[in-house]
Amino acid sequence: MSLKKYVTLLSALSLTLAVACGGGKEVVDEKELGTDDQAAQTAAADNTGGTAAAATAAAAPVSADAATIGGVVKFEGAAPKMAAIQMGADPYCASQHTSAVNDEEVMVGPGGELANVIVYVKNAPTGVAVPSTPVVLDQKGCQYHPHVSAIMAGQPLEIRNDDATLHNVHAMPETNSPFNEGQPVQGMTSTKKFDKVEMKPFRIKCDVHGWMKSWMVVLPHPFHSVSQPNGTFSIANLPPGNYTLVAWHEKYGQQEQQVTVGPKETKQITFTFKG
Amino acid sequence: MKPQEPIPHNYPMRKLNLIFAVSSIGLLLVTGVMVFYDYIRGWKWYQLEFNRLQADRIEQELNAANDATTRKRLAELDAEMKQGQVEIAKNRDQYLLVQKELDDWEGQHYAADQDYRFAKAKLDAQRYQLETSVLQHRADSAQQQRTYDAMLAHVNELNLRLQRVTHDRDAVRARLDRFLSRIKELEDRKKELTANIDLFNKQLGNVELASKRSILNLPMLDFINPTLKIDQVVLGDLFIDMNYMSVPRVDRCQTCHRAIDRPGFESKKEAERLITELQGRLDRNLIQPTKRADTEDRIAQLKRIVDAKQDILNPFRTHPRLDVFVGSASPHPLLEYGCTSCHRGQDRATEFSRAGHTPASLRMLQRWEKSTNPLFPGPWDYKKRNWGFAENPFLETPMYPRQYYQAGCLKCHAGQMEVDSGDEINKATHIVELYGCHACHKINNWRFTDLRKPGPNLDGIGEKTTPEWAFRWISNPSSFRPTTRMPSFFFQRNMIGPAVPPREREQNIRYQNAEIHSIVTYLFSKSTHRAWSSPPNGDAARGQELVSTIGCMACHVAQDTVKDDKGVVRVARRDDFPLERNYGFNLVGTGTKTHASWIYNWIRNPKAYYATAPMPSLRLSEQEAADITAFLVLQQKPRFMQTPIPPVDRAAVHDLAKGYLINTMTDVEAEAKLRSMPMQEQLVYLGQRSIEKYGCYSCHEIKGFEGLKPIGTELTIEGSKAPHLFDFGFVHEYTHEDGEKQHILHNVPSWVYNKVRSPRIYDDERTKPYNDKLKMPNFHLSEEEARLVTTVVLGLTKEKVAANRMAAADPRLRAVEESRKVISQHNCRGCHVVNRNGRAIAALINDPNYLPPDLTPEGGRAQSPWLFSFLKDPTVTKIRPWLHVRMPTFQFTDSEAATLVGGFAADGSQTQFDTMRYQTVPQQNAAIGREVFAMLRCSQCHSVTPVDPANPPLPNAADSQSLAPNLTLAKLRLRHDWIADWIRRPDEMIPGTRMPTNFPRDAQTGGFQSPLALAIDTPQFAAHKAALLPYFQDEQALRKTMADAVALTNYLRDYIWSIGIDQMRAPGSGPGAPLAPANPQTPSTPSAPAATTIARR
Repeated sequence: MSLKKYVTLLSALSLTLAVACGGGKEVVDEKELGTDDQAAQTAAADNTGGTAAAATAAAAPVSADAATIGGVVKFEGAAPKMAAIQMGADPYCASQHTSAVNDEEVMVGPGGELANVIVYVKNAPTGVAVPSTPVVLDQKGCQYHPHVSAIMAGQPLEIRNDDATLHNVHAMPETNSPFNEGQPVQGMTSTKKFDKVEMKPFRIKCDVHGWMKSWMVVLPHPFHSVSQPNGTFSIANLPPGNYTLVAWHEKYGQQEQQVTVGPKETKQITFTFKG
Repeated sequence: MKPQEPIPHNYPMRKLNLIFAVSSIGLLLVTGVMVFYDYIRGWKWYQLEFNRLQADRIEQELNAANDATTRKRLAELDAEMKQGQVEIAKNRDQYLLVQKELDDWEGQHYAADQDYRFAKAKLDAQRYQLETSVLQHRADSAQQQRTYDAMLAHVNELNLRLQRVTHDRDAVRARLDRFLSRIKELEDRKKELTANIDLFNKQLGNVELASKRSILNLPMLDFINPTLKIDQVVLGDLFIDMNYMSVPRVDRCQTCHRAIDRPGFESKKEAERLITELQGRLDRNLIQPTKRADTEDRIAQLKRIVDAKQDILNPFRTHPRLDVFVGSASPHPLLEYGCTSCHRGQDRATEFSRAGHTPASLRMLQRWEKSTNPLFPGPWDYKKRNWGFAENPFLETPMYPRQYYQAGCLKCHAGQMEVDSGDEINKATHIVELYGCHACHKINNWRFTDLRKPGPNLDGIGEKTTPEWAFRWISNPSSFRPTTRMPSFFFQRNMIGPAVPPREREQNIRYQNAEIHSIVTYLFSKSTHRAWSSPPNGDAARGQELVSTIGCMACHVAQDTVKDDKGVVRVARRDDFPLERNYGFNLVGTGTKTHASWIYNWIRNPKAYYATAPMPSLRLSEQEAADITAFLVLQQKPRFMQTPIPPVDRAAVHDLAKGYLINTMTDVEAEAKLRSMPMQEQLVYLGQRSIEKYGCYSCHEIKGFEGLKPIGTELTIEGSKAPHLFDFGFVHEYTHEDGEKQHILHNVPSWVYNKVRSPRIYDDERTKPYNDKLKMPNFHLSEEEARLVTTVVLGLTKEKVAANRMAAADPRLRAVEESRKVISQHNCRGCHVVNRNGRAIAALINDPNYLPPDLTPEGGRAQSPWLFSFLKDPTVTKIRPWLHVRMPTFQFTDSEAATLVGGFAADGSQTQFDTMRYQTVPQQNAAIGREVFAMLRCSQCHSVTPVDPANPPLPNAADSQSLAPNLTLAKLRLRHDWIADWIRRPDEMIPGTRMPTNFPRDAQTGGFQSPLALAIDTPQFAAHKAALLPYFQDEQALRKTMADAVALTNYLRDYIWSIGIDQMRAPGSGPGAPLAPANPQTPSTPSAPAATTIARR
């Protein structure tokens, strides 16, 4: 305790022995306290590391208890009439379609089913392994297939150009890095990744063909689905628990529902968007 | 001998001895106390405390560096080393043999080297012999020559031998090294791994050693080399003014602020901010690959700080902006700039109060004052954060309070329009420029001189509006337009405020009304009365559409209310909008203020109304102008025109006019003079004196006031004025017009802040004659605006720095700054991004593709001759036909346009003239480029045929003419080398551009990849391949080129160059050219308005 020695020496010389001594002690105490804290902290850090690793290990395999949430998205009211896309600016695009193609913003089935709704779990368990199978975004007939999609952060996104025309894939995320790549060659693919979770859906567009738009959301887990033309969706392999289910549509916004699923249970949920 | 008689004393000796004894002991004690007091300086305690903190931190870092993975890797390396040594042992015999051989060769080498050197020395001696012998014409010169030649031959021979021996020895040495190389490499790797740990251990040793050496800190011994000592930097060319002389600064701040330049002692909040910032830069790949590991380490360190139990408090915190200030790699390293050159304060002081720490708020002051100066400073003071603060009004250079830190920038950066990373000071100087502080208050530095007057020319006010409107406007401008920059002069706090006695208030109201009447009378009596042609019928809906699409909203706002975050509608403020959009007036109430004919002619050709009008021409057709006029006329504020106007109060006019007259004549003469003047004349006289009194001419051009000096106090060195030169009046706290309580501290920053926030406040509780009351008008500044304006005022000091420390001193940067001034004065940033800043219009245009261009790369992009023509007349070439927003015709003077062009070229480190345009491209390159162009399908967006003037592309069409610039213009417009660079990395140059990246970077190497590398062999490109083959040696060479992004982009550039047109029309000619500037009009008298219309082209 060299500090103490120093302080003692000083106090011998000074007139304020008592005061200086008290001060010195304070410093010393603090030092000891500091060391203890640090030790405790290191221990705490080790602990958290351990639990996180354990959680990852536990969540990786699909549990035997896995539940499934399925359901249908309905549309109420008169379906808005979608305008026909004018593809005249690029003769190639027009040549790929024999009949008029309508805008895909609102697609309502004959029984009032709403397609292209992203359904995902809001509070899913994290630490689930990132799927190595890519999400595919295909450009065919100068349209995006699928029109909306969800992807897990870190999961590869394969963008394909099946058209013999130039497309540029202009992704405009806010949190992730935006990109804008040209795909002049038919059959060309580029693989991209979004590293960060982005719950607010962002647009992917083609500047060459102004009508081409796709929406994407980046989630921290793989529990998501997109409603089919018949309105159905299904989220499988979900550990049992309480969840908030989110349904998002590019025109009609977002809805939420609370769902509880037990082990091996299959729940049916209905979302209804009003026109 | 007689015993000596005691000498008689008039005072008792014994008593005196006692007094002497007591006083000498007392003196000794006082000396002791003095030494002691000199010894127990507060900063020593801070240093002790910091050593403790530092030891903690180093141990923490040490633990982090010495983690399990490092230990494991070390163990692995040790094992490998052992393995290596075992191998050497196995081949021991061979090793020893080689070692012996090497020893042998070393011996031979030594001998050969020695022989050569001796022989060479002898040769030199012989050369001297020979030279003297020849010089003195001695007989033996021939003999000497022969000896010399023989010796030279010998030396050459020895040299050859030496070279041979060296060569052989090196070969043997290499053989030996091969045995040891593995061990050496492993040792190096180990050293690399433990470097950090060793460093931390050494640092820890230093800190602990400090405690062992602490005996040197004892009084009297502390002159040797104490561990606790004052830390200072001497700043040779940054001066501090010591009255009558400037001396170099000696900053001792680090004596207490120990970790100011040392990363690792950030506050938790700062650490969190830095983590987000650094992580963001990592994610966006903004950090060079070589620096990535360092950045990751730094993030880990910051995370440890966030997780640490205790937060670091001042004075031990690291500077929050090490990347900009005091960091050794920053533009302002500690050793060159110190602290006080920016923060101000007494550089040599080592005590809290004397150093000039200034409280930022009343709360801070109260907290500081609670802690008195301790009798015996010690560690307990640090614990209690007890700094012994006492207000010192005699400090010449107190520090800037926290909220005005950026004031310190102006001293060196006054020659710049913008300071890098100085967002606040940049906004602040922009506010001062835009709101026109410089117009009334002379500010003699480059940034605030040669700026336009902030208000419009009033020579034609009678053509534009009515006296009734003008009266109401002057009385209360912000009731008409809450966002206006015109300040309120009348009916302010010191005239009608709560503190004014009722009788005086009544008189003030009468006087103020009389003054307004007189000003209006003066202005309208001097106004010209040209008649303006009335517009054709317009469609207001179309006008509204035009106003919101062609770019008016880059400079104007058209609303006087806004919805706040909670959806509640409230009155708009200037700072609800970007500064650029406050450049033009708020369009609200335009129809109430003026009439259709004036609007129509004004928007068609603003310079016709007055030549220096800041509004540019948008080249509106007659119909477009009529439509916009129809829309603007509908912008009515009928209630404003219902506010009553009191009749002219003759007595008040008489009193006020007499008040001025008796300055030069007697009371009787003044009365007589007034009697001889009719009311109108009295009003004009009083109007002139009132305009003079309030300084209206400082901001507006007014006839009869040409060349007058501005009215306000000069602010050039306002920030250096001592507090006693300010009139604090009698107020310490008051209620602001917003209803919030304000406090005035007795320091200059607080005085200035409250002055700009509430300009008449220092008249409260004072008795002053009417004309002596404070006159500064009320700008209704928000807290933020007032803080920024105060920052600028405080930054205007008399402190000097050496010329080499002034920012932007070299000619290239001067050219950039001069151009930025023109840019600011013409509000180019309303539409454009310049130097990564601006584009206020972006908030109103949903699709980023329809935004005006980003000019950040313009210097490297545009050829100067084209840019000059384009600035003079934007119709010479239409680059982006898809935009609705129009590039206005500013009617720049040649000098302004040249300043802009020169500034852009300098900004891009380019010359203004080059010979590239005259170069012809090798035909072969162009042909290859054409094929590549076709394969990449560039023609899908870019047209390669000149624009048909009869059928020009229209905004928002979807054909290839309207997606991207026509490439036949590239040769006229773009710089040769820029084209290829742009094709390679468009998104890096302009983030978010529509131009796709065709050569994406490889994630690992960072090199460009070519999409044609593989595609060239696909059947779809068979025809292109066949066309390309003749230009290449063989297929292999072709493939190699197709994979080379740089070569491909150069071919593309050559192709683009080959299709370029060589001519553009002269600026100001041809269709769509702007209207001629102001047409001289014959002013006519109001009684007989002439029916002349403004000639239009």
